[in-house]
Amino acid sequence: MKKRALIIDDNENNLMLEKDLLEVAGFEVFVAQDASSGIAVARKEKPDIIIMDIRLPDMRGSEAAVILRRDKETSDIPIVFVTASVMAEGREEIKDIANSGFVGKPINTRTFVAEISKFIKG
Amino acid sequence: MKNNKLCKDRAGARTVAERGNVKKLHQEIEQRKNTERVAQDALNYAESIINTVRESLIALDQDLRVVSVSRSFYDVFKVKPEETVGQLIYDLGNKQWNIPKLRELLETILPQKTTFDNYEVEHDFTTIGRRIMLLNARQIERVLGKERIILLAIEDITERKEIEAGLEKTRKELEVIKKSADEVSEFAESIINTVREPLISLDQDLRVVSVSRSFYEFFKVKPEETVGQLIYDLGNKQWNIPKLRELLETILPQKTTFDNYEVEHDFTTIGRRIMLLNARQIERGAGKERIILLAIEDITERREIEKGLEKAHEDLQELAAELKRTTRAKSEFLANMSHELRTPLNSINGFSEILYDETFGPLNEKQKKYVTYVLTSGKHLLLLINQILDMSKVEAGKMKLALSSLPIKSILNDISLLVADMVSKKKLQMLLEIDEDLPNIEADELKVKEILYNLLSNAVKFTPEGGKIGMKAKKSDSEIEIEVWDTGAGIASENMNKIFEGFFRVDTPYSRVTEGTGLGLPLSKKLVELHGGKFSVVSDGLNKGTQVRFTLPVISRKAV
Repeated sequence: MKKRALIIDDNENNLMLEKDLLEVAGFEVFVAQDASSGIAVARKEKPDIIIMDIRLPDMRGSEAAVILRRDKETSDIPIVFVTASVMAEGREEIKDIANSGFVGKPINTRTFVAEISKFIKG
Repeated sequence: MKNNKLCKDRAGARTVAERGNVKKLHQEIEQRKNTERVAQDALNYAESIINTVRESLIALDQDLRVVSVSRSFYDVFKVKPEETVGQLIYDLGNKQWNIPKLRELLETILPQKTTFDNYEVEHDFTTIGRRIMLLNARQIERVLGKERIILLAIEDITERKEIEAGLEKTRKELEVIKKSADEVSEFAESIINTVREPLISLDQDLRVVSVSRSFYEFFKVKPEETVGQLIYDLGNKQWNIPKLRELLETILPQKTTFDNYEVEHDFTTIGRRIMLLNARQIERGAGKERIILLAIEDITERREIEKGLEKAHEDLQELAAELKRTTRAKSEFLANMSHELRTPLNSINGFSEILYDETFGPLNEKQKKYVTYVLTSGKHLLLLINQILDMSKVEAGKMKLALSSLPIKSILNDISLLVADMVSKKKLQMLLEIDEDLPNIEADELKVKEILYNLLSNAVKFTPEGGKIGMKAKKSDSEIEIEVWDTGAGIASENMNKIFEGFFRVDTPYSRVTEGTGLGLPLSKKLVELHGGKFSVVSDGLNKGTQVRFTLPVISRKAV
């Protein structure tokens, strides 16, 4: 069965790049360009993994993660943050979110899928 | 004076006797008797005078033998009557009186003049020591058998002379004192006129006694308008300063002195001034009045300078705070910039990689070549962004080390393998001299790898084909010493200081400008120093190769 991934990113290029990489690797990919619609898709599709930008138009990725964790439907879905914030402060806001990780921008296209897959259980 | 009186009495006696000689015999006898009585009376009278006066008196006959002597003579000259009367004066008191000057007086002068006054004789008597005597003598006729009598009055003026000498000495001393007092006051006056500081002396009524030249110059007043004036009236009453009044009228009479009394006043002639006043109330000698010496120091400029300094200090502190803010702002700006640049770079690098990897279909040769250029440039840009960010982090003190125990020996080997590809491509020879007994070190793994990679890739970059590069490592005390060397471009001595400034790169035929960032060396230095190590670059000059040496402590000295 195909792995299912949700990408939440307001940058269409990033969205497209990550979607391509995951689809090439055999993922079924859902996309959203803001946090609220992303959360809605997550509830509906219950993906195996959520890949999320930290800076989103309607809220911080970390805030969206808190909402996802509170919802029983989505509380167990691993979240990988894709962030350009390489400063320690940038990482501070996501360190307390359970079952999450991060990948720095720019992504390495050759290792991206492998890095993501590590967080998928089973 | 007593002698004179005696002389008159004698003269009187003689006249009576002569007159008696031309009268009748009886009368003559009677008169003679009478005269003798009178004369005897006169003699008695004279002798009583002789014995009464304090002055030593001696009466001699014409042969200079003593006829009679006053009591005071015996007292003064310590002789006895039985040794005296009838003796030659020179033989008196064991020939003490054999005085050449006295002989001259009695034997030469007196017979001619019959009288002399105040003849001074100094003589050393065996009994009473050196004495100064004032001699007065009269040669007088006498009736009682003896033809003539010499009356010699001896005044001992030794004490008087001494007193006089003392007085003279005192007078001279006084003169000296007066002279030196004059000198002192002249000296004081010249001090007043020499010092730069305006000085003014006042009498007890606060009227100006004297004023220094600098006072006139400074306060733009003239001598004729100043001396004798009340200080408050000086220069059109400019000096009527309440604080000065308080000082002179209230404080000074109680304290007699005050120091550094600060007064600010707006003078019509010279504008607002801040003055430091020092005053002394001094006595001007016995019985004289007191004078007040007032020194005025204009500290207006000094105050301005002090204020300026204070202001400068404040400005500097503000500037320092501003600099701190600016540095933080710069660091934040760089963090943001690096963040913002990464997002488009994500697309550039990501899509060109996908193209290069021909994920969605093959490229032709030219397409492949061009997409390689895009990818290479994108990665170079990413390196630049990362290094700029790291530099700003170090500079802002925000670079944190993630310390762990590093097997430095294997890390050195790993990094050498990382550049092995580049080394063989350039046909370089790489020599490794890594000691076997290197201990693990406490350091940040990523940072140490970054340092080593920067230095090794520099060595490769700046060494021409066929050259040599190498790495040495050994333990030394509590640290390890690492050297990365090459036989390449080297560094000209004039550029030695520039290599750590950032973005400085030596253009060489074997390194393209697009390679490297110019930040590798300065960043490596900062990272080494962050670990508590030392970093140095040695080069014998252009094309003579480079040795970069650095140390890393085995146990981190940084509490992170």
